[in-house]
Amino acid sequence: MNRGWLPLVLLAMLVVLATSLFLYRPSPEPQTPSLSVERALGGEAEAQEGYARATEHRAFRFPEDHGPHPDYRNEWWYITGNLDAPQRRPFGFQLTLFRIALASELQMAEPTPSAWRSRQVYMGHLALTDVEDERFFSEERFARGAAGLAGAQTSPLRVWLEEWRIEAPGPSTFPLHLQAGGDGFRIDLQLERGKPVVLQGDRGLSQKSAEPGNASYYYSLTRMPAAGEITIGEERWPVRGQAWLDREWSTSALGPDQVGWDWFALQFADGRELMFYRLRLRDGATDPLSAGTLVGPEGDVTRLTADEVSIAELAHWESPRSGIRYPSRWHLRIPKADLSLEVRPRIPDQELDHTVTYWEGAVQVDGTAAGRSIAGRGYVELTGYDSAPGKKGKKGVGVIFGHE
Amino acid sequence: MIPLLWRSSLRYHSTRPWQLLLAILGITLGVAVVTAVDLANESARRAFALSVEATAGKATHQIGAGETTLPESLYLELRLGGLRPSAPVVEGYLSVSGRSFRLLGIDPFAEAPFRNYLEIAGGGRSDLAALLTRPGAVLMAAETAEALQLERGAHFSARVGGRVRLLELAGFLPATDLVERRAQEGLLVADIATTQELLGLQGRLSRIDLILPDADPRSLAQIEAGLPPGVRVERAAARVEVMEQMTRAFSINLTALSLLALVVGMFLIYNTMTFSVIQRRPLIGTLRALGTSQAEIFRLVGTEALMLGVIGTALGLLLGMGLAGVLVRLVTRTINDLYFVLDVTGVFLTPLSLLKGVALGLAATLIAALKPALDATRTPPRQVMSRSFLETHYRQGALHSGAVGLLLLLFGALLLALPGDSLMVGFAALAAFIFGFAFAVPQITLVLMGALQQLVGQRAGFLLRLAVRGLSASVSRTGIAIAALSVAIAATIGMGIMIDSFRQTVAQWLEHYLQADIYISALDDPAVTPLPEHLVSTVRQAPGVHHVSTYWQVEVDSDVGPIELAVLQLAPESDRGYHFKSGERQRAVRQFHEGALLVSEPFAFHHRVEVGDHIELLTPKGSRSFPVAGIFYHYGTSRGTVQMARAVYLRHWREAEVSSLGVYVEPESDVEQVVNGLRRALEQEALEIRSNRGLREASLQIFDRTFAITAVLRLLAMLIAFVGVISALMALQLERSREFGILRATGMTPAELWRMVTAQTGLMGLTAGLLAIPLGLVLALVLILVINRRAFGWSLLVEIPPGVVFEGVLLAIVAALLAGLVPARRMAATPPAEALREE
Repeated sequence: MNRGWLPLVLLAMLVVLATSLFLYRPSPEPQTPSLSVERALGGEAEAQEGYARATEHRAFRFPEDHGPHPDYRNEWWYITGNLDAPQRRPFGFQLTLFRIALASELQMAEPTPSAWRSRQVYMGHLALTDVEDERFFSEERFARGAAGLAGAQTSPLRVWLEEWRIEAPGPSTFPLHLQAGGDGFRIDLQLERGKPVVLQGDRGLSQKSAEPGNASYYYSLTRMPAAGEITIGEERWPVRGQAWLDREWSTSALGPDQVGWDWFALQFADGRELMFYRLRLRDGATDPLSAGTLVGPEGDVTRLTADEVSIAELAHWESPRSGIRYPSRWHLRIPKADLSLEVRPRIPDQELDHTVTYWEGAVQVDGTAAGRSIAGRGYVELTGYDSAPGKKGKKGVGVIFGHE
Repeated sequence: MIPLLWRSSLRYHSTRPWQLLLAILGITLGVAVVTAVDLANESARRAFALSVEATAGKATHQIGAGETTLPESLYLELRLGGLRPSAPVVEGYLSVSGRSFRLLGIDPFAEAPFRNYLEIAGGGRSDLAALLTRPGAVLMAAETAEALQLERGAHFSARVGGRVRLLELAGFLPATDLVERRAQEGLLVADIATTQELLGLQGRLSRIDLILPDADPRSLAQIEAGLPPGVRVERAAARVEVMEQMTRAFSINLTALSLLALVVGMFLIYNTMTFSVIQRRPLIGTLRALGTSQAEIFRLVGTEALMLGVIGTALGLLLGMGLAGVLVRLVTRTINDLYFVLDVTGVFLTPLSLLKGVALGLAATLIAALKPALDATRTPPRQVMSRSFLETHYRQGALHSGAVGLLLLLFGALLLALPGDSLMVGFAALAAFIFGFAFAVPQITLVLMGALQQLVGQRAGFLLRLAVRGLSASVSRTGIAIAALSVAIAATIGMGIMIDSFRQTVAQWLEHYLQADIYISALDDPAVTPLPEHLVSTVRQAPGVHHVSTYWQVEVDSDVGPIELAVLQLAPESDRGYHFKSGERQRAVRQFHEGALLVSEPFAFHHRVEVGDHIELLTPKGSRSFPVAGIFYHYGTSRGTVQMARAVYLRHWREAEVSSLGVYVEPESDVEQVVNGLRRALEQEALEIRSNRGLREASLQIFDRTFAITAVLRLLAMLIAFVGVISALMALQLERSREFGILRATGMTPAELWRMVTAQTGLMGLTAGLLAIPLGLVLALVLILVINRRAFGWSLLVEIPPGVVFEGVLLAIVAALLAGLVPARRMAATPPAEALREE
């Protein structure tokens, strides 16, 4: 028995060997030092290098300016409208195509051979509001501005993101053909020439924050007769109504203190339109650079400054999806034009919860103009409410547009 | 009564710890090898499935062409036509710091339904912008970046298609769980534009991923109807199935070889248990006389065996898991060399593999212990039973078992004579030979020892005579030990001969197959990396160059599944390289130039193709039928290869790259000079320029790498054999302490005793080693002529290297001598009186 320890030792060695083999992991191969170069394009200031900026007045030319301006970082074709099916069944729609440059021409390396290489990305948002059944549909799409997947061209005007299209029939812009479909819904509309182009801001230069160049070129087509067809599931409705086109392009817009905006685009039964955007500051106040226009029946434009419009929020709605709390009813007063308006969403839930979470929906307007009652319809956009503290919302528009 | 029974067992074994340890070691090693091989096989399979999963994501179907790529216009057409979810994919390989990576090129905007590599939450816009706009921007797993010591934004070089390209780490892949991280270790993700540019695949896609609802054959048919000829929709899982099919023979072979190790382990258990039963016969007789039932005795021996099995199996699993780490790298090597690119970074501890190890370990132990346990129950309830009677009885047993062995051997031969080429039948024959031989060994030993006694006669010293007599007198134990040893050694001899024959065959084949004087290819993935376009004409015009042959390889779909098609432009001298197994050379080569195919031997074997048959290949213009003009010997791949003349390929596919060149030097030029000239002229390119001899040597190096796994298994079998020899013989000698005590008491000096023991163990080792030679040869022949042919379709020359045989015998003798060392020394040091005392 005195030799009994030897096998035990061997046994123990076997266990140790097995365990160490089991635990053995080869160490990574020796590395060649990485060619760590200072990132050429680090800071935010350099990120704007090579882009054109909206610093001065420009001469707008149409139809050329309906087309893309690729030297600016961001650009959008923003079409909204209120439509009616027979028996006055109301619908609202939104088709927006955003162009976002990921790098300026200068920042791109020398041209590379792949057809997929592009510095432009297109983002599309399509939404449809079925007021009667209180249904809201929305869909988001992305594609690069290359390989025919998405793009924009001037003549004839064509902006597309895969099968979502805004197309002119030829050299003349109208009738503008809109086609886009999402999961279970689609729109197919023809927009006729309506009222003339309205240059927003100061002759189309819309200053958004104090720093020079933090501005966009901005024009609108405030009233375009629309007709076509809406499909939801298997159901189709012929529709008619009025659409609104907002066009903006810029390289930087919001300043660091601005968190978002409330945008109102209202079409009144008396032939007038009101556009007003309220830029909200971090502390909840209205930025003095907020501005708008009142367009007369013949297209005459009255500029509105921040202190000429007062907005009171009358109600709020909290999204069950994102938990974000949006204002949901407003009282707008414009003493200069003797307007007192109450703006109400046609249905509360018209939130687009995609890469960017925001509220954009059809609204109804009632009020008085110079003592007489006035009614209308329109669209309201509310952005930046997700960045309010305590909200679990995603990143705002800024993420995409690069001014986070 | 019962506790006494167990105590007696405990007491018996505690006095013979060596015996126990070695039996446990036998089963431990056997289980370890089986488990390790199974884990390695399984890990390779899982790694492949994971990498397919990682790159296929949630795709259920994939649109692909038989050819490696499809035009990107097809995707745009389908996408803009509303086919979604759909995502374009460009895939390829590159290496960073010597590690190979799969490069997955995707369109981030089409990705969301498929893969989650681009969650914007991870890094935000800057990642995406860099990924899309910077050439060379890639994403990798954070762990990989850490291992490569790269930080976000770092620039690093990679070898792609034989060129060095600068990449930028634009960000990290998000990973959620361990399995996902494992899959991402060998993965780089880049924008589709970057990937096309890196791989030189502008305008092309590897495939289009789709998600189609399960029960909707209509949409599938609809999509298929709209595809151009040559393009088809496949289930995403099909790639894993193809992989399993391709490597099946390889993994079966490994499993079979590992089972051989377990069989050797079984013999060790059998040896130990039989030994312990024989030694305890008096004790068991007493127990029976005291009323212990047969069932109780059976249970006692069975439980003892089970305990050994449990401990051995548990240790074996642990050792096997460790060993698997080594084996999995070797298995991956082989798969990379023989089949396809695969990156396996670790062992997947699949419960099934471990369970298999447990089941095999315990089953092997119990089977091995069955006969000793039954023998024990047959001990009559008498106190003492004479040893001499026992041995006489056993001699009869040896005769019987010899007869059984002969029958088994005949049965094995019969199995081989059966028509058909089932691999399983081949392995069954192999097993029959092993067991048949093992059964026959005790009888053979008796005959041999008898002959030796006659031979030694009176001339030899009494020590040698004593040693020889002792061996045949205790055949009950020596016979089994020698059987176990010779099986173990035969396994190492058989595997050794097989590997050598294979290597010799390949060496000879390379010598005549490689006809060109100089070979040029890309440094990485030489078979599939396209060479720069201008290279062919540059080389052609280089001084001293007589002719140039070109090679290109593509995957093409055919009526027999995806095949590897080699596209060759032969030089006039190339013909000589072909040795046809079937088909006449001149005619075959002429028909080859006219549009026929040449297929390699394994291909013909796997697909049962004969000269004159037709193979349908999927060309961009649809299915086309090609005749087979010849079947040639080729050991490059186990899948087999199909060769087509470049001119013929171009007629059907329109474009082809070149991945390697064979250069034939002008008769009066010096090869070295031409090589140097080419090296100078092509300095800028990342090329491998090798002389014929250099390529041959490199190929043999690859061969050795490929067969490293087999060589390791052979070494493991040798290790087990070594342990076996030591355990069996040492036990045998230790058991004889009483006998040695008598010898010492009657005047034998320690030195004489030492010599006798050494002579005896040495003789046993020699017997086992010599007996292992015929079995080893038979195993080698079955492995070469039956198993290899049936598994891979290779014709191999039989080459018996004397070294391998000698090694086997030497192993047996050295181990035997070592085994004699401990008991002899111990006995020599023990006073005779001590040894004579009853235990």
